[in-house]
Amino acid sequence: MSRAKLQSLGLDLPVLPTSTVGSFPKPDYLVEARARATRNAITRPELDRLERQATEFWVRTQEELGLDVLVDGEQYRGDMVAYFAETMSGFARGGLVRSYGNRYYHKPVMVGPVRWPGPMTVDWWRWTQSLTTRPVKGMLTGPYTLMDWSFDDHHPDRKTACLALAREVRKEVEALLEAGVRIIQIDEPALSVRPDELGFAVDAMHLVVDGLPAYYVVHACFGAFETIYPGLLDLPVDNLDLAISHSALDLLAMFEKDPFTKDLSLGVLDVHTHSVETDADVATRIRRGTAVLPLNRIWVDPDCGLKTRTVEESRAKLGAMMSAVRTVRAQLG
Amino acid sequence: MELILTSAGSYPRIGDTPDAQRHRRAYAQHERGEISGTEWRAVEDEVAQQVVREQAAVGLDVVTDGQVRWYDPISHLARHCEGVQINGLLRYFDTNFYFRQPVVSGRIRRRESVLRREFEVARAATDRVVKPVLSGPYSLACGSILEGGYRNRRELAQAYAEVLAQEVADLVHAGAALIQVDEPYLLRHPEHADVVHEGLATLAAARGRAHLALYTCFGDALPLWDELMALPVDLVGLDLTYGPKLADRIAEAGAPRPLVLGLVDGRNTKLETRDALFGILDRVLPALRGPVGLGPSCGLELLPRARARAKLENMVAIAREHGGRDGRPR
Repeated sequence: MSRAKLQSLGLDLPVLPTSTVGSFPKPDYLVEARARATRNAITRPELDRLERQATEFWVRTQEELGLDVLVDGEQYRGDMVAYFAETMSGFARGGLVRSYGNRYYHKPVMVGPVRWPGPMTVDWWRWTQSLTTRPVKGMLTGPYTLMDWSFDDHHPDRKTACLALAREVRKEVEALLEAGVRIIQIDEPALSVRPDELGFAVDAMHLVVDGLPAYYVVHACFGAFETIYPGLLDLPVDNLDLAISHSALDLLAMFEKDPFTKDLSLGVLDVHTHSVETDADVATRIRRGTAVLPLNRIWVDPDCGLKTRTVEESRAKLGAMMSAVRTVRAQLG
Repeated sequence: MELILTSAGSYPRIGDTPDAQRHRRAYAQHERGEISGTEWRAVEDEVAQQVVREQAAVGLDVVTDGQVRWYDPISHLARHCEGVQINGLLRYFDTNFYFRQPVVSGRIRRRESVLRREFEVARAATDRVVKPVLSGPYSLACGSILEGGYRNRRELAQAYAEVLAQEVADLVHAGAALIQVDEPYLLRHPEHADVVHEGLATLAAARGRAHLALYTCFGDALPLWDELMALPVDLVGLDLTYGPKLADRIAEAGAPRPLVLGLVDGRNTKLETRDALFGILDRVLPALRGPVGLGPSCGLELLPRARARAKLENMVAIAREHGGRDGRPR
């Protein structure tokens, strides 16, 4: 089904297509440059040059590893919500809140009508795609997560805020399509936090994608997926990317009860641990997926963005993933 | 009707201005070995007392130390137990806050008293009622990874209850008159209300003349109303921000025990309006007997410091207006 859609978009991918979830760790020189940028100790063009250098490094790394669908690595983003909040009007930078230990961040606040400011990710996509012949995904944060991970001083309730954001995110999707993007990943890690709100999260996704021709992936992690399944299948997208490295058996048991009707990106690497999976571990996780879903509906990727890992850990983990995929592909003939 | 204005537990430990970030700087210095453990504890004490004084200055009747020493709600107490190791980070409910998961591999036993000293430091900073807070045994069990020592979560919860009962006894001995027990996981697992009941009974047996307040948050407590009201505690704190039906229920049928109404949204920065709070208080208060508490829906650490304070100031102003013109809530 979605394989036909991919082909109609001109995408001829191998069995078990491989990709990543979006973010890669920033090299030390970029971390340092971003810190200097907060003190105005580096010019915007110089920071931009270093962000492009890091992006190119990750494009080459993904090609060397053999990944099929590439990402730009989000070297220009600090945080998946803050990047969009800092770019869109209607948001203000909030005060500091603690995320854990001694880590604090500025949680955005919606203070007025949210407005798309013009393309936010298109230039980065266009430039990244110019570096490679492999397809590069467009990468956005979805309206439900933008809403849930922000404070809101403006809207009367969460649903109103979410739908307002969805109408603006749609404009970014339109801009990406106009630039030539064929695969768009919409990150919704907050999707499962309040199961009673799944209905308007689905409505919001309709506002984002309806009538716009692309292959859509929704990435959801941190999931208590059992609380929103099978309602999750109402999302009007082609592929659900679920963290499965920890809980594969539970998820797949759910699929046996209520058949999974979309393509599935199997998040087979645990990005939250320093240890590198063995090829055999990853192959076992892939086979759990192939045991319950048709082969042509399964993609393979890590269970979340790799930005919290080191460059070396990321390469090693992805190396294990690609090795396992090659093994399984070979066994399948 | 007497309306008692109260904190719900945590409070932001730093603010946005450089002079409000003493805790953050000292934490980093301590991690780098630049200040000693004694110096670090002195900073923690100072920040705790500052938080206590800030809540009192705003006008709260019942304050806490803001739990400013707590790494998170789950590991703070568990890390002081034998049989427990502290593991990696896990998201805390649907917040952007993460806690470290305790891993229980053997029988747990309290290594040392934790909360008594924290309570005594806070109490020295104010003449208001200082309410120590502890995470309940069931929530500690839910937040832990069970690898050994106990057969199931029920047994682990009861083991944590035995440890927490020692903390309660210490606090009572130190003079605590009101102790808050947080059980947020109860709303996620209503089928385990009996486990919560059993654990709280163990704590209640250690409370002497002190009052035990059970707090739930991050969800609608209405489906568990009967079970909540039957728990062996003296009062119940409710998160009333997850929908109007819980307030409707209280307005219609009252409550068999004193309540703390969590009407100030501890998850969002928007200030509550006078009309919204009056609308609920006018419906609910006539149905209740005895003192009624008013406070945030959950600990305020999920907000920036300045907004946490503004929320409390706003609540106090609205409560005073609601209570009358004598400047005190009723």
